[in-house]
Amino acid sequence: MKIIVAIKQVPERDAHIRIDSSGKWIEESDVQYAMNESDAYALEEALQLREKHSGEVIVVSAGPERVGTTIREALAKGADRAIHIDCNDLNQRDALGVARLIADAIRPDNADLILTGLQSDDLGYGQTGVILAELLGVPHATLILHVEKTDAGLKVKRELEAGFFQEIELPLPAALTIQSGGNKLRYATLMGIKKAKTKEMRVVTAAALDGAPVAVLDGIAHPKKQRSTQIIPGDAKQAAATLVEKLKFEARIL
Amino acid sequence: MTSLSATLAEPQSFSLVEKLLFLLLVAASGVLFWRRFGPILRKILHSRKDPDFHLSPIGRRVWDFFWEVICQAKVIQQRPLPGLAHAFVFWGFCAFALVTLNHAAVGLGIGFLDPASWIGRTYFYLADAFAIACAVGIFGLFVRRFLVRPRWLGSKVSWESGFIAGLIFVLMVTYLGAFFTTDAAPTARILWWIHTLTLLIFLPLIPHTKHLHLVLSPATIFLSRDGFSQIPPLVGDEDFGLVTGKDLTQLVSLQAYSCVECGRCSEHCPATNTGKLLNPKEIILGVRAYLNEFGPASDEQLLGKHNSQEAVFQCTTCGACEFQCPVGIEHLPIMIGLRRGAVNTGAWENDYGGKLFNQLERGSNALGISALERDKFIQKTELPIFDGTQEYCLWLGCMGGYDPKGREIIASFARVMNYLGTSYGVLKKEKCTGDPVRRLGNDLLFQQLAEENLKALAQNKVKKIVSICPHCVRTIQEDWKAYGTPPEIEHHSEFMARFAGRLPKQKSDEKVVFHDPCYLGRYRNVYDEPRELVQLSATLVEAPRHRERSFCCGAGGGLAFLGEETGERVSHVRAQELVATGASTVGTACPFCNTMFRDALAASEKPPQLLDIAQLVARGLPPVAPTSNGVSKA
Repeated sequence: MKIIVAIKQVPERDAHIRIDSSGKWIEESDVQYAMNESDAYALEEALQLREKHSGEVIVVSAGPERVGTTIREALAKGADRAIHIDCNDLNQRDALGVARLIADAIRPDNADLILTGLQSDDLGYGQTGVILAELLGVPHATLILHVEKTDAGLKVKRELEAGFFQEIELPLPAALTIQSGGNKLRYATLMGIKKAKTKEMRVVTAAALDGAPVAVLDGIAHPKKQRSTQIIPGDAKQAAATLVEKLKFEARIL
Repeated sequence: MTSLSATLAEPQSFSLVEKLLFLLLVAASGVLFWRRFGPILRKILHSRKDPDFHLSPIGRRVWDFFWEVICQAKVIQQRPLPGLAHAFVFWGFCAFALVTLNHAAVGLGIGFLDPASWIGRTYFYLADAFAIACAVGIFGLFVRRFLVRPRWLGSKVSWESGFIAGLIFVLMVTYLGAFFTTDAAPTARILWWIHTLTLLIFLPLIPHTKHLHLVLSPATIFLSRDGFSQIPPLVGDEDFGLVTGKDLTQLVSLQAYSCVECGRCSEHCPATNTGKLLNPKEIILGVRAYLNEFGPASDEQLLGKHNSQEAVFQCTTCGACEFQCPVGIEHLPIMIGLRRGAVNTGAWENDYGGKLFNQLERGSNALGISALERDKFIQKTELPIFDGTQEYCLWLGCMGGYDPKGREIIASFARVMNYLGTSYGVLKKEKCTGDPVRRLGNDLLFQQLAEENLKALAQNKVKKIVSICPHCVRTIQEDWKAYGTPPEIEHHSEFMARFAGRLPKQKSDEKVVFHDPCYLGRYRNVYDEPRELVQLSATLVEAPRHRERSFCCGAGGGLAFLGEETGERVSHVRAQELVATGASTVGTACPFCNTMFRDALAASEKPPQLLDIAQLVARGLPPVAPTSNGVSKA
């Protein structure tokens, strides 16, 4: 089975975010980057499928030169080869634009299965995977926790709201967007990193691919800090009743 | 004792047949010795060269040799009675070198030390004293092994040891007996032959038994690495630690064959003492068994037939084994080497370990908490930010930055520094030093963490660091050296002890038992400083196992992050020992010990309070206005 995993490099979870002078993106110089979390689970799923059914795992990632470190990490964890779509304006492209880039870059490989994380931790469109499926003309399923290969194609488990799951079957080739937490992630090893050095990393430039954006990013902003402490008056019994009321209808967490 | 007129009787005029028989037996004994010793020596020499081995500084090696081999200091210090008995046997052997040489020469009619001359008389009398001491010593060791039977010598009775003890005893008795007879008497000849045969039987037994340490351990001690738990660098693209026989270095192989099976390592091992699979002695003997079966060129996995992965990952890296070992075996580089082999190749699969690694691949701390929480703590505690102008960078570490108890320690230590007028600041961003991943053998992640931290410290122009965590101190000072030049660093106990004269002193009857953290004590040799600080405000009491013999809290070696232990909990065993001293307060100097004891002490009926030395010191300080942050330089 030939599996392609689209991964994205995003600011590290603990990064201190500052908005740059254009107001359209973050100051990149003081940020460290890591692999998007759900993409890491997509890669893990691909590696486990390959271990069970043999085949090839190819990772594809779009972004500037620094994306190379995340690609190498994926190769170190076990991917067989990689495609780097070199582009410096990734954050200004909408999901359609990025999906077009990826679709053009991976089309010649005719993969059996395309995996992505369900959304990116930075922009969080949650669209790239499904548009990619559309562009490649393959069926797709989203929010996948578990993938099983059957004679007819795939049986996958989707996560629904409120603790419900759905199992569906679909033929191959197909595209899936993977939810975090379905598997245990493997760690990168020194041996993996050394082996990754000899693996193929093909660089294609974005200019050579079709990826014109339709939606244009206007600006980004920090969320406004809101602190609204409420002191609930009355005796304990009364206050508890009011608290439950508020948790139910205002905070909506009960 | 012999009367002064008595001299050593030496049989004269051996017949040609006797001489030939003697030479034949010597040759046979030598050949038998070499047939076993030769292959062992070849296995050691054909092991991989140690990449970081330097003979210099030679002075340190000569001193170790003098102190640990000639003086038998460690042998005696750590087990006084059996140690002294062993030393008598050892010194007896040394004194006997010349006696034995002359003994053999007599058999060929070319004796060079005339018992009647004053030199001969003096030397043989001196040897007399050694012979008596040696005979008494070996008898004592015999009684210990076969009648007292301490469990660290193993459950199996070693008959070969008894036999060899007998041989040594016979050697001494036959020597002493020769003072009670004359040259011409047949007794002299019989004694000479018994002595000779005993020697010639002893020699080939040496390489077959743990008595191999007679030959190897002086070299092992002389060649041992400089410093405690020195983890060798990985060299080239194929080096992932100890994976197969090809990765065993000459030092590792030499050490494996030097083990004398005394069990001192096991006696002090927190894992062995709490019913885990790990026994450090068995790890070393496992490497030896591997070398015997597969040799140093084998592709067979080291963690397999003779050593188990489970055992290797139960080590807290407390270093009691390495500290105790009287023959110069360095357990930690071997233990961590085996872990490196398993982790660097991905062979180690552990849910907790994998989670820890993933957390540190993406996040900043081993606890997996958002760095924003550290920012909030810094703001709330009003810790000044390091801007390059202050003298000290206060390193928070994962525990100081994220753990509630660790934060209390930081806050207390900040108060002490404010009181002393020290200028300090904390970094805006910090990453884990990599201690847990270093000890667990993840070199890739350790290198990333070390390099990122070194870069951040250089950018911030940090010259001096002070830290509340002995693990951070050790890792920054020693382990980061592989990737750059770390700033000067000291532990807060050392820092505060330097200013002890300026700290408030208020002696009380409060009994404080101080627990020596492994990474402060055995790793850094800091024992007196925290005690001095405890005594500023309290009366110090000692646990039965303290200073160099301190018993681990169970957190080291990354084990704090690996979930539930098998067997008894190390922390509970240690906590009970501390409670049993009757102290009302347990003093620690490590946030990891602190967190382990926090849970373990809660299980005791009337738990003593638990305070870091910074907290012990800070409680004697005058109260300050909450807004003061005293950054002014003294």
